[in-house]
Amino acid sequence: MSLNIIVCAKQVMDPETPLSAFNVDEAAKRVVPAQGIPPVVNGFCENAVEAALKIKEAAGDATITVISVGNDFVMDVMKKPLSMGADQMILIQDPAAENLDALGTATVLSKAIEKTGEADIIICGQQASDWDNAHVPLGISEMLGVACLSEARSIDLGDGTVTVASSRSDGYEVFEAPLPCLITVNNEIGQPRYPTLRGIMQASRKTPETWTLNDLDLSESDVSPALTLSELFVPASDRECQIIEGEDEADSGRLLALKLREEKII
Amino acid sequence: MGAQTSEETRKQIVSLVRDFVKRDVEPIANAYDNEDIYPHELIPIMCELGLFGINIPTEYGGMGLDFTTFAMIFEELSKGWMSVSGIIGTHHILSYIISVYGTEEQKHRILPKMAKGEIRGGLALTESEAGSDAQNISTTAVKDGEEYVINGRKMFISNGDNGNAFALMAKTDPKSDPRHRGISCFIFEKPTDGFKVGRQLDKLGYRGLDTCELIFDDCRVPSDNLIGGEEGRGFGQVMNGLETGRINVAARAVGVAQAALEASVTYSKKRLAFGKPISEHQAIQLKLAEMAAKVHAARLMVYDAARKKDSGERNDLEAAMAKLFASEVCGEVAMEAMRVHGGVGYTKDLPVERYYRDAPLMIIGEGTNEIMKLVIARRLLEKYSD
Repeated sequence: MSLNIIVCAKQVMDPETPLSAFNVDEAAKRVVPAQGIPPVVNGFCENAVEAALKIKEAAGDATITVISVGNDFVMDVMKKPLSMGADQMILIQDPAAENLDALGTATVLSKAIEKTGEADIIICGQQASDWDNAHVPLGISEMLGVACLSEARSIDLGDGTVTVASSRSDGYEVFEAPLPCLITVNNEIGQPRYPTLRGIMQASRKTPETWTLNDLDLSESDVSPALTLSELFVPASDRECQIIEGEDEADSGRLLALKLREEKII
Repeated sequence: MGAQTSEETRKQIVSLVRDFVKRDVEPIANAYDNEDIYPHELIPIMCELGLFGINIPTEYGGMGLDFTTFAMIFEELSKGWMSVSGIIGTHHILSYIISVYGTEEQKHRILPKMAKGEIRGGLALTESEAGSDAQNISTTAVKDGEEYVINGRKMFISNGDNGNAFALMAKTDPKSDPRHRGISCFIFEKPTDGFKVGRQLDKLGYRGLDTCELIFDDCRVPSDNLIGGEEGRGFGQVMNGLETGRINVAARAVGVAQAALEASVTYSKKRLAFGKPISEHQAIQLKLAEMAAKVHAARLMVYDAARKKDSGERNDLEAAMAKLFASEVCGEVAMEAMRVHGGVGYTKDLPVERYYRDAPLMIIGEGTNEIMKLVIARRLLEKYSD
C-alpha cells in the first residue's frame, strides 16, 4: 500500500541574517525583509523533509507532498524540498495569507491536507525560526483529530502504526500511534541531506500546484487573526567588552569562568 | 555545454554549493591546507551532489549545465577552499575534450563514469621543457599494432595521484612541420604497466591537491583511446579544452578574491583603531571600494566569456581576458586583504594568508598571464586586420 506523507514547510527570513540588516517597522508591527538576503526554508522544516525521505526509503512505496502557505514565495527557495527528493508541492498562495497567525495557518494547512485526500503521516518542523511559536503543528493535529507525536528523534514505521522516540530534556520517551498521525521533528532527527544537481534539474521541471483560500472553501474571515500583536520592537542592547587576562590560557579560562559565575551567567 | 540553465535553477545550484562549502569544506580548509592533506572525505559527497558531471551532456549521464553555471560553481567552491575546485578542474577539461572530439564509443565508455566520479580525470600536457610552449612537448606515442607506446614525463599534473584518467598530449609525428600537426591526444587510464606517479610537488598554495610528475616508460595505450580516432588533432583539441579551463581558473580567481573581500569587510567592522572600527577610517574604505569594484568587474568578465561559450561563439579572446584580469585582481585583492587585516592576516589563524598563497596559481596556471596577453594581442590583430 502506498503511503501518503505530507510535509508542512515554511519560507522564513534567513535566521543568519546579520543583525545590521534586521529591521522592524514598529508602526506597522512588521519585520522588514532584509534587502539582498534571500529567504530560506525553515531549518526544522528541512529536517521534516529529511524525516519523510527516510520513511519513504524504509517503506519503499510512498509519495511525499510538501505543503506551504504564504503570499510571496521565492520559487528557487521553496523548490528545495523537491530538489531533496519530495515528489510534489502545493503552495497555498493568497493575499489573505500574508499575516496569518498560528490558528489561521493551522486552519489553512489542515484544510489543504484534507483536500489532498488521505494523509497517512503529516510531518512538521517543531517550530519556525521566524516566530518560534511551535503552535501550528498542534493546531493541525487538533483540527484533523489525529495524534500529535512531538520532537521525534527517530521514526519507525509499523503495520498501520508508527513508533516515535521523542526527545526530552533528560532522555527520550517512546510512543506508538495508529496512522494517520502528525509528527514534529527538530534537528535530532538527522541532518537534512543536500539536494543534488540532478535533483535540482528534475525539480526545475516540476511546477508546484498553486491553490488559493477559495480553493479550500475558506474566506478571509475564516483565517482572521485570533491574536492581536500589540507591540513589535528590537530590544535595545548595550554591548560592553571586558578583556579577561590571566597568566596563561588555563588561568584566563579559570578567571573567565569565575567572572561568568559572578555575573550569574553560569 | 547544454541548453542555457534557467536563472531559478542557477540560484538553487549556487545555494547548494554554498551549503556544501559551509558545512563540509570550510571547517577543514585551513587545517588541511596547512598540512597539505587531500580531502578524501569530500569525494563521495561531491560524487553524490553531481559535481563531477557539471558539463557532461545529459545523454552521457552528466548534468549538461551551461558554462555560466559552471563558472558560478567554481567561484563558490573557491570561496571556501580553492584546492577543492581543483579536484574537478582538469577533470572537466578531459570530459569536455571527450564530449566535443571523442568518438561515440569513447563518449559512451568514459563519460558516464566521469559523471559519477568513478573516473576522475586530469590533463597531462605540461612538461619540464614545455608549458607555455606546448608544442615543444617531447613525450612520444609510437603506433605498434592496435596500441600506442608512450614514453615521456609530464610535470605539474593536477590530480596526478588521485585521478585515474588523463587527457595525454603526445607527439605521434615528432618531425611534423608545423609542429602542432604532429601532436595527438589520448585518454590515458590507470593502471597501466610502465606508468608511475613521480614526485608530488610541495607548493606555495593550492595545497591539499596532488600536483605530480607522471612518468610514462613504454606505456601501452589502446588505439581506441586516441581521442577522435585521428592522429594530429590533439593540439587543437587540448587548446579548445583549455578555453574552458580558463573560464574555470578565472572563476576560481573571482571566488578567492570575493572571499578576501568579504573577510576584509567583516574584519574591518570589528577591528577597532583610534577609538572606532577601522571600516570608519577613510584609508580602509578606499581599499574596500577598490577591491569590490575590481572583483565585480572580474566576475562580469568571467560571466561574459562563459556566456559567449554557451552561445557557441568564439570566446578565446574573452576567456583569455577574463583569466588575465580576474587572476591579477585576485592577487591584488588578496594582498589588500592582508593590509586590511594587518598582522593577524599574516598568520595562519585566518584564511587571508591562504588566499594570498593561492592567488599566484591563477596567474601562472592554465597558461601564464604573459601567454594570455599574447593570445589577446594576436586575436585583436586578427580581428582588426584589413
